[in-house]
Amino acid sequence: MTTSIQQENGELVARLEGRLDTAVSAQTEKDLQPLNECQNMNIVLDCNKLEYISSSGLRIFLNILKNAKAKGGRVIITGMNADINKVFTMTGFTNLFEFR
Amino acid sequence: MISVRHLSKSFLSPDGHRVEVLRDVNFDIQSGEVVAIIGPSGTGKSTLLRMLNRLETPTSGDVLVNGKNILAKDYPVHQLRQKMGMVFQSFNLFNHLSVLDNVVLAPMKLLGLTREQAEQEAIEMLRKVGLAEKAHAMPTSLSGGQQQRTAIARTLAMHPDIVLFDEPTSALDPTMVGEVQGVMRTLTQEKMTMIVVTHKMRFARDISSRVLFLYDGVVLEDGTPEDIFSNPQRKETRDFVHRIRKLTFEIAGSDFDFYDMSSQIKQFCISCSMPEKMDPVTHVVEEMLVIMQQFSKSIHIEVNHSDLDRTSTVVALHRGETLSPLDRDDTDELAAMIVRGMSKSIQTELTPEGVQLTIEM
Repeated sequence: MTTSIQQENGELVARLEGRLDTAVSAQTEKDLQPLNECQNMNIVLDCNKLEYISSSGLRIFLNILKNAKAKGGRVIITGMNADINKVFTMTGFTNLFEFR
Repeated sequence: MISVRHLSKSFLSPDGHRVEVLRDVNFDIQSGEVVAIIGPSGTGKSTLLRMLNRLETPTSGDVLVNGKNILAKDYPVHQLRQKMGMVFQSFNLFNHLSVLDNVVLAPMKLLGLTREQAEQEAIEMLRKVGLAEKAHAMPTSLSGGQQQRTAIARTLAMHPDIVLFDEPTSALDPTMVGEVQGVMRTLTQEKMTMIVVTHKMRFARDISSRVLFLYDGVVLEDGTPEDIFSNPQRKETRDFVHRIRKLTFEIAGSDFDFYDMSSQIKQFCISCSMPEKMDPVTHVVEEMLVIMQQFSKSIHIEVNHSDLDRTSTVVALHRGETLSPLDRDDTDELAAMIVRGMSKSIQTELTPEGVQLTIEM
């Protein structure tokens, strides 16, 4: 699992690649910590190369959303595959996030 | 007709250990029954069959045929084998003799028939197995299926009361299995008493009136084909008849190797030709662990796949617990939603070890 964070067109874009499961969730949460420190910026979670997400990964996404909202920002998700879309649908996460 | 009482067989392995092949096997077989003996490889099926006509000697126990103990020293073995014919996996024909000569040999030598009488009966038996026109052919010019049908005709020519079949189709090309099974089906219609050791589950179900499931040297279940194949009582029987492949994990603490577990699930799904199940199975296993590790550190997880009906299940045993971890108020609801969302059905069962969930994917 790898992550990268870049500022693009006034947004903070986090690109996630690989399988976000129990084994890597603690490290991924640390890697994505800079997203929680930004102020008044929209965050884009680019999931084009994310293959899998477990409940521990969903919790990371949820924390990012809570932090962003508290600071007046939005979180937008792009490029989910069918498996991740299924997980988002069955947990009601499709109602929490914006998608592009 | 046949009573098997406390039959056991063991032998000393080359390294000096005693290996128990069969342990205290008991059953009765009545005239006209067609009994299929099924079970995993190496569980003693063929050994059991061979002890019924004294090709093998049991370590202890009795075999009574029509009330007489065939293991008695003075029991006439040649008479036993006349009345109890055997068809072997590898045909055991005399290749230097024609098909007809293979069939007439025993009736002439053991029943005292003249050549003319024996040939007349042999042609009748060869007609029954569909090989009358091959009477003068040599065995090596026949297909495997034809050779096995010749072996059946040879057995029938002795007018046996019982025919034992030891894996009669396992040495055959798949295209030839049907012709041998067809002959055996005809014999069942004629009410021939037959005992068949077979790996072919559909065949066992179709032809038998009764099935013995042999497992680890004992008869674990004995019932009608409906009992054994549609409603097996024992887990071992269920796993065997559904041709279940298994992947198991024992988790004793929170520091287990999740990378290795994911990798094993991936390999298992690929080897079962179900790569599409890899993510759903991984989701269910992973989320069940998240849920169960909240409450207990002793967890048994099984991933099962049936080659028969292509179904997959995850079995999660939560040791020392009595409540389903999915139904507790303090469960991890997010993980539980994923487990429920990925599954077709979830059955909860209380076992002596703890609560067990069977999650069908």
